[in-house]
Amino acid sequence: MNPNKTLIELHSVSKTFPVASGTFRALKDVTLHITPGQLVAITGKSGSGKSTLLNIMAGIDRPSEGQVLINGIQIEKLSEGALASWRGKNVGVVFQFFQLLPTLTVVENVMLPMDFCNTYPPKERKARALSLLQKVDIREQADKFPSALSGGQQQRVAIARALANDPPIIIADEPTGNLDSHTASSIFELFAGLARSGKTVIVVTHEKDFAAHFENTFSISDGVVVNDVVPA
Amino acid sequence: MNTRFTKVIRDLRSDYARNLMLVVATGVGIFGIGSILGGYHVIRREMKDNYMGTVPASATIEIEESISGELVDSVKALPGIQAAERHATLVARMKIDEKWYPLLLFVVDDFKNKQTNKVYFVSGDTAPARGTMLAERTAFTVMHASEGDSLMIKTRNGEPKKVKLTGTVHDPGLAPAWQEEAGYGYVTLSTLHDLGETQGFDQLRILVSENQNSKAHIREKAEAVALWLKGKGYTVHEIQIPSPGKHPHQGQMNTVMEIFVIFSFLILILGSILVATAMATLMVKQIRQIGVMKTLGATSTQLAGMYVLMVIVLCVVALAVAIPLSRITATVFYNQIAVLLNLEIRDRSISWEVPMIQIAAGVGIPLIATLFPVIRGSRVSVRKALDNFGVGRKIKRSWVVAFSSLGIFTDTFRISIRNAFRQRARLTMTLGLLAAGGAMFMTALNVSEAWHKNLNRIYQQRLYDLEVRLTEPVQADRILEAIRNIPGVRLAEGWNSVSTSFVRNQTFDITGTYPDKGHGSFSMTAVPLPTQLINPTIKEGRWLNEQGSNEVVLNQLAREPGISPGDSIVLSLDGKPTRWKVVGFTEDVGSSAMAYVSLHSFSMLSDSLLNVKSIRIGYDDRSKENAVLKSKEVEALLERKGISIDGTVPVWLLHNAVAAHMKVLVNSLIALAILMALVGTLGLTSTMSVNVLERTREIGVMRAIGATPERIRNVVVFEGLIIGIISILIAIMLSLVLSAYMGNLIGNMSFRTPLSLTVSGIALSVWVLIIMGGSYAAAFYPARRAGRLTTREALCYE
Repeated sequence: MNPNKTLIELHSVSKTFPVASGTFRALKDVTLHITPGQLVAITGKSGSGKSTLLNIMAGIDRPSEGQVLINGIQIEKLSEGALASWRGKNVGVVFQFFQLLPTLTVVENVMLPMDFCNTYPPKERKARALSLLQKVDIREQADKFPSALSGGQQQRVAIARALANDPPIIIADEPTGNLDSHTASSIFELFAGLARSGKTVIVVTHEKDFAAHFENTFSISDGVVVNDVVPA
Repeated sequence: MNTRFTKVIRDLRSDYARNLMLVVATGVGIFGIGSILGGYHVIRREMKDNYMGTVPASATIEIEESISGELVDSVKALPGIQAAERHATLVARMKIDEKWYPLLLFVVDDFKNKQTNKVYFVSGDTAPARGTMLAERTAFTVMHASEGDSLMIKTRNGEPKKVKLTGTVHDPGLAPAWQEEAGYGYVTLSTLHDLGETQGFDQLRILVSENQNSKAHIREKAEAVALWLKGKGYTVHEIQIPSPGKHPHQGQMNTVMEIFVIFSFLILILGSILVATAMATLMVKQIRQIGVMKTLGATSTQLAGMYVLMVIVLCVVALAVAIPLSRITATVFYNQIAVLLNLEIRDRSISWEVPMIQIAAGVGIPLIATLFPVIRGSRVSVRKALDNFGVGRKIKRSWVVAFSSLGIFTDTFRISIRNAFRQRARLTMTLGLLAAGGAMFMTALNVSEAWHKNLNRIYQQRLYDLEVRLTEPVQADRILEAIRNIPGVRLAEGWNSVSTSFVRNQTFDITGTYPDKGHGSFSMTAVPLPTQLINPTIKEGRWLNEQGSNEVVLNQLAREPGISPGDSIVLSLDGKPTRWKVVGFTEDVGSSAMAYVSLHSFSMLSDSLLNVKSIRIGYDDRSKENAVLKSKEVEALLERKGISIDGTVPVWLLHNAVAAHMKVLVNSLIALAILMALVGTLGLTSTMSVNVLERTREIGVMRAIGATPERIRNVVVFEGLIIGIISILIAIMLSLVLSAYMGNLIGNMSFRTPLSLTVSGIALSVWVLIIMGGSYAAAFYPARRAGRLTTREALCYE
C-alpha cells in the first residue's frame, strides 16, 4: 500500500440522531484524511462525538450527510450485507470491554472472523489464529474460555481477533479504559507495533500518558474536529 | 468444525434446562402427531381390510316367505349379481347370572361356503353342529362363558334352552359385544328350530358384480332383484343397503381421528411458539454478541443461519426422542382402537409417510414460528446491538400509562402494569401461547362435561327404565295393571314399534341398516297419548296430541332435508305405504332414526286393535341396581302370565352402551388438555425470565434508589400475574368458540345432535389455579434472582 496515499477520507460528514426534543447532531461537517500505517488518536470529552466518528469510519454506523471513502470505496453506499463483509475484511475492531464470545475458546474467538468472511481455508484458520495469539503473547491461553483470562489478556485476544482477517485498519474504542496502567502501556505498545508493520490504527482514548505513541491526533468537541495535531 | 457451528453447539450446551424445556415442548407435539397418525394409518388400513375381508353384502332383501336354495340359485343367475345367499337374523335372549340380555342370533345357511358377510374362524368348530352355537370373540365377556360352556337361550317363540358354545369367530362388521351389552351367536337353521322357532331364512343377501362401491348402482340392482322376487310371488318387506365399503363406525372413526390430529398439531404449534419465544429470549441475551459478530464481518444471513441451526438442532433432538416413542404409543393407540372397533390387526407396519410428516412438521412449524424473531434479531444494526442496555427506555404515553396512573393502584403495581406492556410483541406471543393452551384445556373439559350432560339426557328424555319387547301383541290393559302393582313401579305403558322407511316413488322400502340391525335402522314408535314416559326435546313444531290424527314427529336422525311441520310424508307400515302429517321434530339422545306416532293412529292403520308389542316401565328409584332388581320382578310376572318376551332393553344398558362408544375420545381429550397446560406454563416461565433478564440494569437502578429486594420481587410477580389474568380472559372467550365447534362435532358424531355449550366450572377453576400458580412460580424465580442481585452487579450487567 502506498504510504502517501490517503486510506481514510471523510468529506463533510454529519451525523444526527433523533431524540425526544427533535434531533441531535453528533457530528458536524467533519472532514479528515488518514494515511496508511499511522497510529491515530481521537480524543474528546464524553459525548463529544468521538465514538460516533469511530463507528462511521468502521462502517458500524452510516453518516447522515457527507462521504466516507476508505481505500477508495464509498462505504456508506454499501448494502448492510456488503458492508458487514467489507468490515470483516478491512477493519478490525477492539472494544473497551473486549467483547469476546463467552462460549468460544480463545483460539475459536480468533478463528470466528475468518469463518464469517471465509478469508482463509478452514484447515489453515487454527494455525493462523495460534500465530496471531503468539504475536500478542497469549498463545498458551489458546484453549481457555475468555472468563478464565484477566482483562489485559482478554484485550490481547481481542486484538488478535481484530487481526484475524489481516485488515489494513484497526479501530479501537477506549481499549485501555478498563485496564490498569501497566497493562494499558503494553496494549499501546502492541498498537504501535501494528502501526509500524503497516496497519492503520485508530484509537479513541482519554489516556494522555501515551500521546507520544500517536502520529496524529484528532480532537473533537461538540461534533467538530477542533484540532488535528501531528506530534513533532 | 466450523467455528460458527461450534458456537451454536456450545450455546445450546450452556443452558441445558432451557433447551430441555424446548425439546420437551416441541417433542410433545411431534410425539402426539406420530402417535395419532401412526395409529390412524394402521387402523384405517386394517378397518378397511378387516371389513372388506368379510365381503360385506351389497344389499339385504327381507322377504316374508322362506327362501329356498333354488331361489338363491336363481337370483345368482340374474344379471349383475356376483353372489347371493340366504340368511336370517333375529334377536333372542341369553340368561347370564339370572339376568336376561339381548342375543343377536345369526342363522347361517352354509358355514363352509359363506359368500358374503363372512366371519373369521378363531378357534373350535368352523360349522356348529345342531344344537350348538359359535360365538363372536367379544361376546364371551358379556356371556360370562368360555368355549365349551353352555348358555341358556330363549327365542321369541321357544322355551329357554341350553346351547353349547363350540367355536369362536371374529366378525369385524360388528361392534364389540361389550359395547352393545349384547351377545352375538351363529347357528344353523336346524338349531334355530330346536330353539322353538319355525321361521326359515328370510333375508336374501346379494353382492353386485360391478360398481360395488356405488350406492346408486347397488340400489338399482337390489330393486331389480326385489321386483323379480315380487314377480315370482314373494312379498318384499325391505331392502337394506348399508354404505358400500364403509365399516359401520368409519365415519365416527374419521371424526375422532381428525380431532386428535388437530389437537396434536395445535400442541406442536404451541410448542413452536414457545421455541420462538425462547429464541427471541436468547437473541435478547445475545444482542451484544450479535453486534460484535456483525462487527467481525458476520452478515445478517449468517447470523440468522446460526440461530436457525440452533432451532434445527433442538428439533432434531426432539424428533430423535419423539419419533421412536410415538411408534410405541401408536402401537398402544391402534391396539386400543382395534379393541373398540373389534378389529384384528394383521399388518402392524406404519407407513414411512408418518415419520416424514413428523419430520416436516417437527422442523417446519418451529422454524416458521422462530423465523420472525430470528430475522428481526439478526437484522438489528451493529450500533443498536452494541448500544443495547436491555429493554427499550422509551415509554410512550398510551392507555396503559393512563390506566396504571389511576389512583387505585399502588406504586409497585403501577410499575408491574407498565412493565407487562413494554415488550408488546413478546407479550402478544406469551398471551397467544397461554390463551391457546387455556382455551384448549377448557374446551376439552367443557366438551367432556357437555358430553356427560348429554348422556344424562338419555334418562331425562326416557322417563321409563325398562323396555320389554313382546313376542306377540297383547292387550295392554290385561298386563299393565299387574305391572303397575309391583311395588316400586311408578308407571307402565303399552307401546308399539316397527321398522319403517320413507316411501317415495320407489316400489320398496329402502333403509341403510347394517346386518347388526342397529346401525342405520329407522323405526316407527307408537306411543299412547298422553304419555307420561317420554319427555321429548322438541326442536320445531309440537309433540303429538290426542286430537291429532295420523300425525308424526320425527327425530333428528329421521328428519330429511326439506321436510317441515305441516308436510305430509309416506312411511311404510308392515310393508304398506301410510300417509302421515309431520307436526314436529325432536332431538333424541341415544336413539336411532325414529318416527313417533300415536298408538291410536298406528292401531288404526296396522289393524293391531290397540294391542301392544312393547311395554315401557318406569320405577320410583331409577338407579341401575334397583332397575336390575325390578326388571327381574317384571319378567317373572310376565312369565307367570304366560306372556312371551322377545327382549328387554333397560335404559341403564343403553346409557352404558353409548358411554362406552366415546369414553376413549373424551379421556384422550383430557390427556391432551393436560399437555396443553404444561406447554402453556413453560411459555410463561420463559417470558418472565427474559423480562427480568433484560431489565437487570433497571433493577440495579431501582435498588440504588432504595427499592428493597421484596419490592423488586413484587414488581416481577405482579407482572406475571397480570399477564396470567389477561390470558385467562382471552382463553375463556376462545374456549367458548372452540367448545361450540367441538361440541357440534362430537355431539353429531355420538348423538347426531350438537352438544349444548357448557362452561365447566371445574375447567375454569383448574385453569385459573394453574395459571395463577404457574404465573407466580414463573415470576418468582426470576424475581428472586433479581432481588438477590447486588446493586453493583445489576448496574454492571451487560
